Amino acid sequence: MASVGFGLITAAVLAISAVGFTLQFAVTNVLNLAFASIMTLAAFVAYWINQAGMSIWIALIASMAVGALVSVALNYAVYSPFQRRGSAPITLVIVSLGMALIIEFGVAAIDGGISVSYNMGQSRTLRFAGLILTTVQLIIIAISVVVMVGVYGLLRYTKLGKAMRATAANRMLARNCGIRAGQVISATWALTGALCGLAGTVFAIDVGSFDPTSTDIFLVLILAAVFLGGPGHAYGAMLGALIIGLATEVSAAYIAADYKYVVAFVILLAMLAVRPTGLLGAKT
Amino acid sequence: MSAELQTALLATGVTAGYGGDPVIRDVSVRAESGQVISVVGPNGSGKSTLLKAIVGVLRVSAGRVSIRGRDVTNATPEDMARTGVGYVPQVDDVFAPLSVRENLEMGGYLLPRQQVPDRIEHVLTVFPRLSTMVRRPAGKLSGGERKMLALARVLMLGPDLFLLDEPTANLAPAIARTLLDEQVTELAKSGAAVLIVEQRARAVLAVSDYTYVMGGGQLRMEGTPAELTASPAFVASFLGGHHDPAGSAG
Amino acid sequence: MLYLIILLVYTAVDAMACLGLSQQFGVAGVTNFGFIIFQAAGAYMAAVLALPSDSANGGFQLYIGGFHLPFPLPWIGAAAAGGVLALPFTFLVGRRLRGDFAAVGLLVTAVLLNLLVTNYRPLFNGDAGVSLVPAPLHSGMFVGTSNGYQYGFAIGGLVLAVAVYWFLRRITESPYGRSLRAMRDNDKVADSLGKNLVALRTGVLVTGGAIAGLSGAILVDFIGVWSPAAWSYAETIVLFTAVIIGGAGNHVGALLGALLVPVGFEEITRYISNNNPNLPPNLLPSLQWVAIGLLIAVFLWVRPQGVLPERKRVIEPPAQEARTQRTRRWRSSPTPEVLKAIGVSKDFGGVQAVAGVSLSVTKGTLTGLIGPNGAGKSTLLSLLAGTEKVSSGRISYMGQDITVLPAYRRARVGLVRTFQLASEFKRLTVVENLLSAVPGNRGDSFLGALAGRWYWRRDEAGAAERAYALIESFGLGDKANDYAGDLSGGQRRLVEIMRALMTEPDVLLLDEPMAGVHPDLARRIGEALRELCRQGMTILMVEHELAIVDELCDPVIVMADGQVLAQGTMAELRDRSEVVEAYLVG
Repeated sequence: MASVGFGLITAAVLAISAVGFTLQFAVTNVLNLAFASIMTLAAFVAYWINQAGMSIWIALIASMAVGALVSVALNYAVYSPFQRRGSAPITLVIVSLGMALIIEFGVAAIDGGISVSYNMGQSRTLRFAGLILTTVQLIIIAISVVVMVGVYGLLRYTKLGKAMRATAANRMLARNCGIRAGQVISATWALTGALCGLAGTVFAIDVGSFDPTSTDIFLVLILAAVFLGGPGHAYGAMLGALIIGLATEVSAAYIAADYKYVVAFVILLAMLAVRPTGLLGAKT
Repeated sequence: MSAELQTALLATGVTAGYGGDPVIRDVSVRAESGQVISVVGPNGSGKSTLLKAIVGVLRVSAGRVSIRGRDVTNATPEDMARTGVGYVPQVDDVFAPLSVRENLEMGGYLLPRQQVPDRIEHVLTVFPRLSTMVRRPAGKLSGGERKMLALARVLMLGPDLFLLDEPTANLAPAIARTLLDEQVTELAKSGAAVLIVEQRARAVLAVSDYTYVMGGGQLRMEGTPAELTASPAFVASFLGGHHDPAGSAG
Repeated sequence: MLYLIILLVYTAVDAMACLGLSQQFGVAGVTNFGFIIFQAAGAYMAAVLALPSDSANGGFQLYIGGFHLPFPLPWIGAAAAGGVLALPFTFLVGRRLRGDFAAVGLLVTAVLLNLLVTNYRPLFNGDAGVSLVPAPLHSGMFVGTSNGYQYGFAIGGLVLAVAVYWFLRRITESPYGRSLRAMRDNDKVADSLGKNLVALRTGVLVTGGAIAGLSGAILVDFIGVWSPAAWSYAETIVLFTAVIIGGAGNHVGALLGALLVPVGFEEITRYISNNNPNLPPNLLPSLQWVAIGLLIAVFLWVRPQGVLPERKRVIEPPAQEARTQRTRRWRSSPTPEVLKAIGVSKDFGGVQAVAGVSLSVTKGTLTGLIGPNGAGKSTLLSLLAGTEKVSSGRISYMGQDITVLPAYRRARVGLVRTFQLASEFKRLTVVENLLSAVPGNRGDSFLGALAGRWYWRRDEAGAAERAYALIESFGLGDKANDYAGDLSGGQRRLVEIMRALMTEPDVLLLDEPMAGVHPDLARRIGEALRELCRQGMTILMVEHELAIVDELCDPVIVMADGQVLAQGTMAELRDRSEVVEAYLVG
């Protein structure tokens, strides 16, 4: 039962990042493999602010801003020029790997590669529906739920959200409706970048001790969740995150904890082999 | 001068293509408010290219496009929408994963928020079939229903100029007839200018005020439907070759 | 140990790895983000084959194997391990998956395998890795060997690298290599020409895997230890950077890339750290990675083809005296109607594109197929060619029922089609485009390529002769060795038609061959087609330019709304009111 609790927390962190990743892909058609490294950067910025004396929750806000800024800059300076040139998707992926290296090891160069952790202050444990969770863990789950509801509301009810979905579905037709696709895309990068930053800090809070390479394996979970739900499909990513989060943690109760990620890996490869459009259908 | 201000659409000497050699060369068309202007011609004659060049999807390398006297040559599609132009492409004409209602909301993107629901109500009275399926994803509609939605989408903004690219393609003849005879003529009657590209020459000529005939990327003929149907050259231009007045093979 | 030895060994290892990756990525277009795991597999295999059982030395390291085999068995095992590891990934390289998604699958595999090996100690001693790996023909590790031995080892490694270079050149500069490059340029068209995409891609994964495995064996015997830290997923990125900078698809470029990046980087880093001993230990390796990332982005932007781009393969025209006067054989048909559609229909999800069409094409005619948009002409052509399956009805060719025969099999019995959209192989020359369509070239298999030029020279020369005959008859002689992607639209049309003709079809199905073609060129094409029909070919041509149809085709079949409306000469059809109506009604 404890593993269900862990599963929920992993799912919570995963959901924020998976939704961000898949929305990026949906609107911009870029498989941004630098996503995990931007998470790392945001987590470390939060650490440095935290070290300077601020509460981690304030630092969290800052990390969202960092995520947004870096993502928008990345698109403006790198991805967009390559796309305008008509580069093949695989070229974009290779470039995104290069960006991942620059960001992740840029942080490592400054940090020195040592593991760090936040000053979290005191936290109490609570009993909640048969699970034992700390207040911090509950806050993480709460943040994730708020984000999910927020993203859902954004996409369903706001003008920007619908413009994002329209741009993702048919960019030229969106422009014919008067939607400034370029602005929508920049807004998407900013928004999903903020989610990325948030996910990074929340991830770091959850694992406790982290170093610049901690998110490498997490990228696998993100990709598994994204492809399980269907690449580009926001609600699919939420569902995928829940399934992957629970599956990895629950499996840890049965196979040794070190191999729990194998489940995610197997699911990802199975989806790629059998149904690359995901459970909930393709991005159109 | 003031006459030009009234001309809803004036395209002169337009040359455009997909990047390499131009597909259309030196094409001029003109549409006034309240008119249905058709562009017909065999496949590959450049009709779709002309519309795409006007609306900004393709680059115009020579010539000029103006709307009510304003130069909009090579304006972006987003700006064309703001100028009051409603373009319905031949394919990819709806947002497939969005519902019918959401498609209409996208059509009304440029409208002030409060106006949108009323506008949707109005558009649904023009296309009553759609009101029975407002929650359905557009990708799940039949061919005819999709085309209706595509038209309804541009109707949301109440444009002064409609550019329709083969709206009856893939539609059953009866539905195609209704679309042209009723809905397209309605648009013109309410004061808009309609430039419609079509393969079904007979059907569209029946509702047109003026027709241009294209072939091989250029303008071959033009005139009122009456003039054209009386002309033997008109039929010949569709079937290639030269028309021999004596009636024997060309 | 001498510094020079280190340099030579790493050069050999990195050269091999880059060659293998360049073959996969640059020649065949397979993006293998998991490349490093194949090197790791080889290293581990070589280690556990050469080490004594793990209980020796007090059992301080756990690993599988431990067979204490003598050289060269561990190295052979290493190459085999690298090759065999590639086989499970066949499912990722089929035609259904986007290239960038498949690449991600391989990347994820690399991350996961590294994690697994780290955590499961009984496999390869987990995080600590295997150590005390003996050098070849020696009982102890490399560090303890004599200078002479070390030089011998280094030279041996370089010799193996040269052997790999020679091997890959042989494979690539053959008809098989040409098929790989065609698959890279346009896999759908290569597929329709009968190239087996899954087999080709699996082949390069296995070959590259074996080469990577061998490089791993050399490396592990040199260092004496091998742990997960040595093969993180990021190492593959270094190799990609090397290949991209050196020039993907150019084997000398791969060597250059190996020298510039993995070797060059190591040396620069060593130099800097030697001169600055007070730097924090983590800084230089991190900055190395940052530099790699920058290099990838900069090079892909500024010079994506690399320092040494892929070389153009020029095929000279055969000498006039050497040309043989071939008379081609025509297949015999029991009836004059060589191609028949009998009650053929095709449904696309509720819409009937073709509705009960029956028609026949007579041998030796240039038959036109016309009709307004949406009439079903292109669909019918696809059904006849086999690129689409009929919903009902039968198709008969030379008296045989071919309704269920797939497209490339129909091509092999002489029923060939062309495509409307750009389907040339852009980075193959015109001659190569034509040669790629010839089935049955002895050099078009892995073993055939390996056998060498003498094995397939005859087939190739014969095909080249025919190719040049076609090229010259269509007036493109001076463009024969230009890249097909550099030609004008009309010329590329011509390449498409000539490529179809290379298969010596008996019945040729042309899909709008004159679309967008300059009138003069169209006339030339028309004359050539008419000449072919005079010689015995049968052509069915879908075309919109009715003036051309008028000049060239007899008979002409008109379709409308998925059915056949009428048949006759263009002049006859123009006089028939239902035909006129069909066109005007649309």
